[in-house]
Amino acid sequence: MLFGSMKNFNNFHLIALLSLLATTGAAAAVCSDTDAVALEWLDKMSKNMREVNYQGVVTLQRDDEMQVMQVSHFVDHGRSSERLTELTGQGAQVARLEHPLDCLHPGDNLLRLNEMLQEDRCGIAEQYRFSVVDDERVAGRKTLRINIQPRDIYRFGYAMFLDRETGLLLKSQTISHDHRTLETTQFAQISYTDDVPATSDVDVVHEAQHPHPESPSVNVASTRHWTIGWVPSGFSATDSSLGINGRRTYTDGLAVFSVFLENLDQQIRPGEGQVMQGGTITYTRGRHLGGQPVLVTVIGEVPLNTARMVADSVAWVQ
Amino acid sequence: MNDRMLESLSALLDNETNELELERILTQVSGDAQLRRVWTRYNLAQHAIHRHHMAHPDWDISTRIQVALEGKQAGGASVFRQRMLRSLQSFAVAASVAATVVLGGRHLAQVSETTPYVSDRSAATSASPVGMLNSLGAAAVQASYGTQPVSALQPATRTVYKELTQQRRRLYMQEHAEQAALNSPQGLIPFARVPQIRE
Repeated sequence: MLFGSMKNFNNFHLIALLSLLATTGAAAAVCSDTDAVALEWLDKMSKNMREVNYQGVVTLQRDDEMQVMQVSHFVDHGRSSERLTELTGQGAQVARLEHPLDCLHPGDNLLRLNEMLQEDRCGIAEQYRFSVVDDERVAGRKTLRINIQPRDIYRFGYAMFLDRETGLLLKSQTISHDHRTLETTQFAQISYTDDVPATSDVDVVHEAQHPHPESPSVNVASTRHWTIGWVPSGFSATDSSLGINGRRTYTDGLAVFSVFLENLDQQIRPGEGQVMQGGTITYTRGRHLGGQPVLVTVIGEVPLNTARMVADSVAWVQ
Repeated sequence: MNDRMLESLSALLDNETNELELERILTQVSGDAQLRRVWTRYNLAQHAIHRHHMAHPDWDISTRIQVALEGKQAGGASVFRQRMLRSLQSFAVAASVAATVVLGGRHLAQVSETTPYVSDRSAATSASPVGMLNSLGAAAVQASYGTQPVSALQPATRTVYKELTQQRRRLYMQEHAEQAALNSPQGLIPFARVPQIRE
């Protein structure tokens, strides 16, 4: 009997020791299955998307819908100017001009992996498994395909097709856990040129905002401070500011989601609603938060469960 | 706010406003919260009467924008007219925000406490509308985090939440896209996901 308990005791210790080893060894082991070549290409992609001159026509396919847009990106004296003009639908134009090349946002940093590899850190490879395969032509260019599989159920997978010469992202597919393609964006045509395309006739021109990642909050709408108790591992806040309705946005380098909180001045029947379009979920949850009726909305390129769990974890700061 | 203004709003709702009048209404409404509330009420009333789909409290005004835009494409437009269209679009958004609060408030608060969710027993056996199972194919997880799970909703409540979610999608997608464009590797392409880009 005594021997039996001793044995159990030892087993217990053995298991504890093994799990400890497993945890400490995890960081090194978890990304050893990742193709280092893939990470180098991601790094190159992230840099060149910002530094190379290009223009072309891009299609976005999701559900049964296809949108066509013209994009252009030019760099001059260390500053980039980019434009997106919708050729179908609303026909709006979005412009981001004079964006300094050295102005990196949290999403950029998560993909600049060369440094991490040298320091033997996993970075984004802790969240995704990367592998490289050769693949077909996109927009007449030879591409290399990077398969990106999530390691947990809180994010989608991707297939990214990079230009073999420039590393530019020519085609990207968002893939669900049951291997369905939720959304595809791809260049139908691309040219690496300095010629600025003729601007088409547009009705709405929106100048993209440029909130600096470090800028303090200037526009606090909610009277009470609130916090998000849970985000999936690897996600970090994109900025420290709160926008309209106190928005908070998180990214893991590939996926992005935003959380909005509204204080309601009347009671609300608790409940939830969701709209999925392509790879983008909009999830709205009516709750009572410490007696205060609120509406929490999560919008982003993440699975429904992730949005739901994030919305569930919203709480007032005591 | 005078009776004439109310009449004008009513005419706007019925698509019976001429351009000059439209400009006058827009100028006044843009600076008057009370007028905006009246507009929202009128719109909701009309939706109730005509049984329009509630996802579009800005339906009529969108139609007008559409008609005007088509007119513009056909015959060209003045700078004034373009400016007017833009304020009309912002106004449509403002009306949509206002209507949402009314909608949410009225429909979700009005159901009395004596007719709550489907009874607890059936709630326990039936899944919540979005469920514990990830409908996108992921394995089942404990979906609720630290709080009460959402019970099965009555069909009416579910419908209202569906509409609220659609409205939130239109309201917030652009702000989300601003962040996604800066923090994912696709340049400005996230903006293509915005239903209606605002200036």
